[in-house]
Amino acid sequence: MWVKIFISAILLYFIALLQNSFFVYFNIFGAVPNFIFIFFFLIVFLNQKENYYETIFYSLLAGFFLDVFSSFRMGVSIVALLIIGILIKKIILMLKKNEREYPFIYFIAIFTASFLAYCVSLEIYLCILSQCQILSIFSASFLTEFFYTLFFATLVFLICKNVLKNKKNSLQTGLLKNVFQ
Amino acid sequence: MEFFVPKIDNRKKRIQKIAVISVILCGIVLAAAFLNSQIKNFFYVSSQPIRNYFLSAGLSASNQIGFLFNFSKIRGENEELKEKNYELLTKISLLLENREESSAMSEVFSVCREKKFTVVLAKMSGYDNQDMISIDRGTEDGIEEGMPVINQHNILFGKIYKVYKNFAQVMLISNKNSVVNVQIQQQNSEDPVVNGSVKGEGDLSAILDIVPIDSLISSGQTLTVSALDQTFPKDILIGEISEVFKNDQKPFQQAKINLFFDLKKAENLFVITNYKKN
Repeated sequence: MWVKIFISAILLYFIALLQNSFFVYFNIFGAVPNFIFIFFFLIVFLNQKENYYETIFYSLLAGFFLDVFSSFRMGVSIVALLIIGILIKKIILMLKKNEREYPFIYFIAIFTASFLAYCVSLEIYLCILSQCQILSIFSASFLTEFFYTLFFATLVFLICKNVLKNKKNSLQTGLLKNVFQ
Repeated sequence: MEFFVPKIDNRKKRIQKIAVISVILCGIVLAAAFLNSQIKNFFYVSSQPIRNYFLSAGLSASNQIGFLFNFSKIRGENEELKEKNYELLTKISLLLENREESSAMSEVFSVCREKKFTVVLAKMSGYDNQDMISIDRGTEDGIEEGMPVINQHNILFGKIYKVYKNFAQVMLISNKNSVVNVQIQQQNSEDPVVNGSVKGEGDLSAILDIVPIDSLISSGQTLTVSALDQTFPKDILIGEISEVFKNDQKPFQQAKINLFFDLKKAENLFVITNYKKN
C-alpha cells in the first residue's frame, strides 16, 4: 500500500505541474481541466477495497497538491476532498451491494455531484474570506471547467475500465486453464 | 446479557479509532495551514525548472496546434500588426495626454507620467482557474502586495495579490474581485473625457461598467487606466470596447471588452515597484 501511495504522490506532483503550466495554453475561456481531481476521483471510485484508509490518504495527497498550486490557503482542498472522498466511498459501498460492476451512469452522476461539492466548498471558503461569489458556481466559467474536466475524466475512466476488464478476463481464462489442466 | 458485550466493545473500539484518525487529520490540516507560505514557497522553488520546461512545451504545442488551423503567413502578419497596433495605441494615448496638459487637471496627472517607474522583470510560472497567475519573483526581489504588473507593450495584467519568499501570485484584471478605473480614449481630442470601471468577470474576460448613459462610446475605442485609479499608473493599456449595452432606464451603460493581455505573451512581465498613489 505504501509503495502505491508513494508512486501516486509522485504522479500527482507531475499532474499538478502539468495542470498549472503545460495546460495553461490549452485553456477554454480561462478554464483548465482539473486533472488532480480526476486522479483523486478515479482512484477512490475504482478502488475495490472496503476500508477508508486509502481514500483518506489519497484525499490528503490530492488536496495537498491542489492547495500548493492554487491561490487558496493550505488545508482548504484537503478538508474538502477528505469529506468528498469519504462520501464517495460510502456511496460506492452502498451501490456495491446491488451491483457487481459500476456502470457509466454511476460514474457520471457521482463525478458531477462530487465536482460540484468541491467547487461549492471552495466558494464557501471564499465566503468566509468575505469574497462571496456563491452564485458564480452556476456561471459559464464553472460549466466550462466542469465539462472540460468531465471530458478528460470520462476518457480516463473508459480506459481504466477497459484495462480492468481485460485484466479480469485474462485472470478468468488463466483460472479456467488451470482447472482444465 | 453477556452475549452483547463484544458488540459494545467493537463499537467502542471503532469510535476510538475514528477519534484518533480525526485528531491526526486535524493536526495535518492545521500544520499545513500554519506552514502555508513555507510549503508553497518550497514547492514553487523546487519545481521551477520543470514548470518552465512544461510552460515552454505547452506554448510550442499550442502554437503547433494553432498552426494547423491558421495559415502561417496570416498568423505572422497578424502578430506583426498587433505589435504595431499596441505601439500606436500607446503613442496615441501619450499624444492625447499631451494635448490635455494645458488644463489644470492634466498638470496634476502629469506628475505621475514624469515619474520614472522602476520595474522588476518576472516570468510567469503558473496559472490557476481563479484568474490568477504566479510569477517567479517574491519578497527577496522587493515585490510587495498591490504592485502593478504590466508587459513590455505597456499592457496591464493585474496586481500582486500575495507574495511569498521566492514567488508571487498576480490577480489578473479579469479576476472577479478586480476593479480598475479606466478612461475611454476618444477619437476626437475635443470630445469630453469619459471614465468608467473595468470589472473582472472571470474566464479571462471583463466588462466596462459605470459609464454615464449620456456618454458616447462605441466599439473599437481603447481603454487605458484612468488617473483616478488608486492601484495602477495612468495610461496603461487595458483593452478595447467590442459591444455596447445601453438601456435608457439605467443610469449607466455597460460594454463588453476585449482585454489586451494574453497569457501566451506573458513570458516577460514587469512589476512596477515604486508606484504609489499619493
